Formats: sequence, structure tokens, C-alpha cells
Amino acid sequence: MSLNLRALAHKTWRTIASIQTGVVLLILVVILSAVGTIVLQRPATEPDEMQSAYSPHVLRILDAVGLTDVFHAWWFLGLLLLVSLCIVAASIDRFPNSWRYFSRPYKYPDESFRRASHPQKSLAIADEESGLVAAERALHSLGFKPERVVREDHFGIFAERHRISELAVYIVHASLLLIFFGTIVDGIWGWRGYLSLNEGQTSNMVEIRGGSTRTLPFAIRCDAAGQENYKDGTPKKWWSQLAVVEDGRDVQKKEIVVNDPLLYSGVRFYQSSYGLNGKVDKFLLVATPSGGSGEKKEIGLALNDTVSLDADTTVRFAEFLPDFAVHDGQVYKKSNYLENPAAHLVVTSKRAGKDFDVWIPQMDEVADNSKAPYQFQATDLKMGHFTGLQVSHEPGQWGVWSGVVLIGIGLAFVFYVVHTRFWVVPVCDPKTGKCSLWIGGSANRNRDAFEQRFNHLVELVEEELNPVPRTSASEQVATVPGN
Amino acid sequence: MARAKAEPQQPNTGMTLIVLVGLAIAFLLFMAFLNVVKSGNLLNETNLLFATLIFYSGAGALYLGFGVTGTESYVKFASLATWLGLLANTAAIAHRWYESGHVPFSSVYEMLLSFVWTLAVLTLVAEKKYGVKVIGTVTMPVAIVGVVLMQLLRTEVHPLVPALQSTWLHVHVALAMLAYAACALSFALAMMFLIQDNTKTETFLAVTSASTLAIYASVVLTRFEKWGGLSLVAWNPEQKSEVFLSRGVRLFVTVPDLGWLMTLTLLVVASPLVFYGLARWKRNDSFLTLANRAVFLSILLQVMAVVMFILRASDGRYPSLDTDGLFPTSLAASPFILSGLVGGVFISLLYLLLLWRRPDLARLLPSADNLDRITYKTICLAFPLLTLMIASGAYWANQTWGSYWSWDPKETWAAITWLVYAGYLHMRVTRGWRGRRAAYFAIIGFAVVMFTFFGVTYLLPGLHAYA
Repeated sequence: MSLNLRALAHKTWRTIASIQTGVVLLILVVILSAVGTIVLQRPATEPDEMQSAYSPHVLRILDAVGLTDVFHAWWFLGLLLLVSLCIVAASIDRFPNSWRYFSRPYKYPDESFRRASHPQKSLAIADEESGLVAAERALHSLGFKPERVVREDHFGIFAERHRISELAVYIVHASLLLIFFGTIVDGIWGWRGYLSLNEGQTSNMVEIRGGSTRTLPFAIRCDAAGQENYKDGTPKKWWSQLAVVEDGRDVQKKEIVVNDPLLYSGVRFYQSSYGLNGKVDKFLLVATPSGGSGEKKEIGLALNDTVSLDADTTVRFAEFLPDFAVHDGQVYKKSNYLENPAAHLVVTSKRAGKDFDVWIPQMDEVADNSKAPYQFQATDLKMGHFTGLQVSHEPGQWGVWSGVVLIGIGLAFVFYVVHTRFWVVPVCDPKTGKCSLWIGGSANRNRDAFEQRFNHLVELVEEELNPVPRTSASEQVATVPGN
Repeated sequence: MARAKAEPQQPNTGMTLIVLVGLAIAFLLFMAFLNVVKSGNLLNETNLLFATLIFYSGAGALYLGFGVTGTESYVKFASLATWLGLLANTAAIAHRWYESGHVPFSSVYEMLLSFVWTLAVLTLVAEKKYGVKVIGTVTMPVAIVGVVLMQLLRTEVHPLVPALQSTWLHVHVALAMLAYAACALSFALAMMFLIQDNTKTETFLAVTSASTLAIYASVVLTRFEKWGGLSLVAWNPEQKSEVFLSRGVRLFVTVPDLGWLMTLTLLVVASPLVFYGLARWKRNDSFLTLANRAVFLSILLQVMAVVMFILRASDGRYPSLDTDGLFPTSLAASPFILSGLVGGVFISLLYLLLLWRRPDLARLLPSADNLDRITYKTICLAFPLLTLMIASGAYWANQTWGSYWSWDPKETWAAITWLVYAGYLHMRVTRGWRGRRAAYFAIIGFAVVMFTFFGVTYLLPGLHAYA
């Protein structure tokens, strides 16, 4: 029974570690994520848009299966986890072999290896030592560090370069796991939200997606925010001057712009939007006494401000409608967009003992502008602005970024760093006493380019064997056997 | 103009084409010159783009001529035309850069500009370094379609919205263009491998027919309207933009009768596939002859469809089903239908080339083994670039939106592309997939790339709305 279990475990392991399983899982990931880009996803879509796109019945099914939020569904995360497991298993399964290959390089080619090896070349030599010395010199001139391999019954030369290339694929896999690890950490401990601040406002409540709020241990104050435009009116830059307030003190200040966030104790604040908050910052007016005599006065009012115009008269900014309509002697707010604004001022005169409703612009049905002791001329309306901040906490992102850097290095090694090996073995025929120098080489990729390098090495060795300046090819051929 | 003079060197049967292409180039350049005289401005973008188009078209024609006749001297002139086109293309990029003050990577138009550039460079590299001379027959048509698309998508220089003002954007897009061009090259090489690997000509027939069928089917299925109309996006010529009913909802107009033409073409385009099926089913090769005739017919009809589409869609005002009144449309409003239709014609023409000149092609191409190896090398180049592209995009997104991965459709499809190529590499390295299976994989990979580049932008909305 226990043996059976072990067999089962072994079989499971083989399945997980096999490349087929990996590919099947990857195909599943591909299909599911493709579906996730075609079906509208809940996190990125407004609820009413979802409802108009699908019939309620279909929507219920999609929701039940989880296809409206594929990338956060348990089965998708489970699949990603399985893929990671597969990568780990496959790496563990293959690593010992590669490690043996890496840690105990094959330095002396035996006869069967020599027979099968490609490329290879045999050169005639006078004696073993001169052949080896020539090969060593040639390898040195190519920048290798040849090593003499001396065993009891045989000897030769081994030279190699970039052995690390054999392990590069594990660097890539490990960095993928590091990236996964980072995203999982973020998925569990990270959060993202939104914070909207009016100029001058301080807040520590971040709206998290899905409706909840999170209270930060410190607060953010927006000192100023603004927008710069191109000549054609499209926005060029949004900026906000933010201050971090902790225990009543400003601990950090920064002007953030899009692409340049503020970071404080692991929480990042990104500029994401900017606009009118629908509130009046300052309403600038010129007040002229009715009847023409008396001097003009410039006043600035915020909502509900009261300013005295003279000893008897005060004016209060009572109401502001961004978009108004008049109907049956009443003023209504039509919308919240700043399209057709109206301001309601209340002028109180002690002398007359009554209040006058002044509307700007003038509306005869509802207002008594002409009766008021002052006439008002609006000069400017300064609206208040809000700055919209994305707030995020991603403790795992360092795993992601180091994984990304590592994967770049790993891929560079995988594709462009070649493990090159050369073996040189002198072979003497015991019967004839003639000796030859066997040269072989191998590269783990880009073999056609390697063959050229190999041929170059062989040429160099030939030159070392015949230090006389070559005059003609035939002469050289003649000297080698006679040497 | 200088090209026409350089031509008459050796009286050769193939000279006619060179002379013709040379004359055509000279004529077009002369027309362009008249235009320059009229506007008094030599180095503006329209002219540069026009010159690019002229030279790439000349190169494409010569490469095709080389493919058909096997005349070596064509290649020389074809690469010369490619060089000149590349020069004009580079100038167009530089001009755009100078005019806008930012690296031109911020719209589909600007990215196409550099995509085409990279493709031309890689074509020259493949030709000179690896001796794949016929590659231009595939890549140049792609480049031509790209330039035509650019003419349509041409936009005024838009200032960069705040989110795009980042060096990482440039890194990201540059890597994307390099990677995608390498993928395009690997696709072309894989196709050539299949030719050299003695894939049956009728298999290519089936694939050709299936892909043109897919193009027309998607047009008809999504755009066919009542009473044989074809709905197209309305275009506002003053604002040079599509007409929107509300945010993200485009206004469609119905061009009468065009729908019938598309449906007819769909049927004819499908017929070679039907005959191929019959030939397989009945084991009767006479159906294949019929199928090849049907391809010929389908080309005629496709050309007619393209011409009619261009004529009807380029101007005129049409009614809409959603609102009263007549609205103008423009080719610029439906660039993808146009490029699909033009692409269909090219695919069918390439099939004809194969059908008629297969032995010559086989002689001209490098051996199957070499092609297989070069395909693999191109993917070895594309894959790290894809990886870095995704990484730089994630870094940029993190700087801008505070999240490095948000599963938006473009991101997801970039990841899918990456996975497909990762699959290719694993199968090749560990399972020893060589040859045909690897070639199919490379082809699928490029199809996914195309979908990521165009399909996602126009079919699936997301954060990458800028591009």
C-alpha cells in the first residue's frame, strides 16, 4: 500500500513537473484571460453599462461563473498558483542535472564522445607535449584560460567560457516566481483607493474600491492645485502641492504631477484628476450706490460671506447655482455643471428695514435688483478646484521590480551568452607511434556561428604547430608529416 | 527619376518591369513635385509620407517581380527603393518629432510610422545578412498597407496629455515596435519555411481562402445592415474625427448596396475553401483546379470590393439608422476595414505567386533548415524585447496610475503574446520542436501580435485609449 502511495506521489510529481502539463495550463491561462478581455469586467465597468450590455439572465450566469471578474476569480488565481507550482516543480526536477553539468564540468572527452562530437578536427603532431603547448597558446590568444587535465591514464586540455549560461534558464524561472510572489503579496496586503481634496482641505480617509474607506495614520493636505494648458486648450500638466500631516505637524511636502507621485511610509499618492468642485472660491463684484451718487466699491465674497457696504447696508452671498432656470417665479438648479451660473445676494438695509433679493444675472420675476440700495456688477467668478489622487499601497512591488530586472538579465544570458567548450586530446597510435591532436568543441546555442569560431581555433593551432611563416599551403602540408 | 535612367543596363526579359516601376516612380515623384511647387513647401510630412509610399510600393513591386521571375537584378533595385523609402520614412519621423517636440510614439499613426520603419530595416537586414531575398514580397506589402493606413489616420500634432509625458512611454513604445517588427519578420520567415518544407500548395490555398474568408466574414457579420447596406462610422471632416453620439458611442451611417457586394465577395472568397473541402472529401483533384480558378475570380471580386468601398466610403453623405439626417463618412473613419480588404487582396496575390512560381521560389529561398534557424533567431530577438516592453509598460503604469498591472485588455493581450512565444521557446528547447510545428507556432504568435496591436485598440476598450 505504502509503495502504491509512493508510486502515486511519484506519478503526480512527474505530471506536475512535465512540460506538457505546463503547456496545457498556459493554454488555459491564455484562453481564460482572453475571455476576460472580451466579457466586460465588473471592476472596470459601471454597473448600468453592464446591465445595458447583457440581458439580466445572461448577466446572472456570467456573474455566477465569475466571468465578469475573471482576474480576481478564485479559479483564475488558483490556475496562476498551479502554473507557479508547475514552474517550481519543473525547475526542481531538472535542476540537479543542470547543476551537475554546471558544478562538475565534463573536462575529458572519452573515446565514444570523441567519435560522436561535432565539430571536431584531428591534426598531425610530432609529440604530445608540443601539440598541447600549441593548443594552449592558441586558446590563450582567443582569450580562454586552458586547463591541463591530467588523469592516471590520459591527459588533455579543457577550456570553456560562460558556464553560467547553462543555469540562466533557472534565473528566468526564479525571477518569474519572484514577480508572482510580489503580486501575491500585493494582492493580500496591498490596497488601492481614491482621495479627493479641495484646495486647503486635509483628509486621511481614502475611498477603497467597492465602497469602503480606509483611515490613514496620517493626513494629507492639499495646499494648492492647478492645471496648465497647451495653446489649443488641452491639458498639459496637472499639479498639486501636498503636505503630509502627522501628529499635527507637516512632516513632508511635495508638489506632485502626473508620473511623479508622493511617497510616504509605503503609501503613494498619484495625481490622477483635477477639476472644478462646483463651489465658489471667490465672487468679485463692483457695487455702485443706486441713484448714481457715492463711490464704487469692489468686494469679494465667498459663499455665506457678509460684507458691509456702508454704515447701513450689508450684503450676503446667499446662494450659488451653477446652472439655473427660472420657472413660475422660482429659480431652480438645473444641473451641477457650470453652464449657466446664477448668484443670489441678499442686501440688508437698516434704513429701509428690509432685505432685498439681488440676483445676478438680473431676473425681473424674482428679484428686486432695481429697488436695492446698491447695483452690482459681477467682474469675476473664481471657482474652487479639487485634486483627485490615486492612493496605493503595494508592499510587494519590490519583488516585482527585482524580478523584472532579473528576468532581463536572465533572458540576456539565455539567448545571448553562449557556453563554449573546447577539448584538446593528444592521441597516439601504439602500433605506428604516430600522434595526432584531437580538437573538439561544443556550444549550447548558435551552433553555426560556433563552427566558424571552431575553425578559427583550428587554424590558430595549426599556425602554432608550424611557427615558420607560411609561404604556401602545399609547403605547409609537406612539412607537417615530416616534422 | 534617377532610377529610370539607371535601368537600361542589360536587355533582359525582366527589364520591362524595372523600367515600368522606374517610370511609375518617376511619374509619381513628378506629380508630387508639382504638388510641392504649388504648395511651395518641400519638406512637409505629407510629401515625405508620399515619397515613402512611392518608394515602398516600387520596392514591393520589384520584390514581387523577383519572386515571380527570379531575375536577380530586381533585388538590387528593390533594395535601392527600400533604402530610399527608408530615407523618406526616417525624414518623416524626424519631421514629426521636430514639429511635435516629443518622440513620435503617442498615437496609432505615430507608432505605425516607426513600425514601418523597423520593418523596412529588418527586411534589409534579412536580405543582406541572411540572404533571404524574397522576404520583401511579404514585408513590403505589409509596409505599404501601413503607410496607406497612416495616410488615413493622419492626425494633427496633438500635444501630449499629462499621462503620456514620461520617458518610460518612449522606451515602452520603442521596444514594442522593435518586438512587433521582429515578430512580423519571424512570421514571414515561417511562411517561407513552409514553402521550402514542401507543404502542399493546396494547404496554402486553404489557408489563403480561410484568411480572406475571415476578413470578409468579420466585415459582413459586424457591419451588414438591413436592405444590403454596410454601416460605417460617420466622420466629421472639420474636426477630423469620428462622430460620437455620446461618450464612447460612435454614430454609424449606412452605405446602401455595399453590404450586398461584401456578401457576394464573401461567398466567392469562400468558394475555394469549399472546393478544397470537396477535393479532400471526394479525393478528386479536379476540384483543386476549380478551387484555383475560384481564387482567381475571388481576386477580381476583391479588387472590385476594394474599389467600390473606396469610392463609396471616401465621400458622400449617407443616412443613419440612429438619427435623422445625412452624415458624411470617410476612409479615415474605417481604416481597419480598408486595410483588411487590401490585405485580403495581397494574401490572394501571394498565393497566386506561389501557385505559379513555386519551383522558382524554392530555388531562390534559403534551405528549409536555414529558414527554420533564422525564424528561431528572430524569435530569440523578439522575446526579450517583448519581455522588456511589458516590464517598461508596467513601470510606466505604476508611475502614472499607481498600479503596475490592472488586467486591462491591452496588458492582458500583451501577456498572452508573451505566453505564446514562451510556449514556442519551451517546445523548441525541451521538446525539440523543429520545422513545421515551430513554424505554425510562429505564425500563430504573429496573429496574436496583430490582434494585440490593432484588434485590442479598436475592439476592446481600455486604458490604452491613446493608442
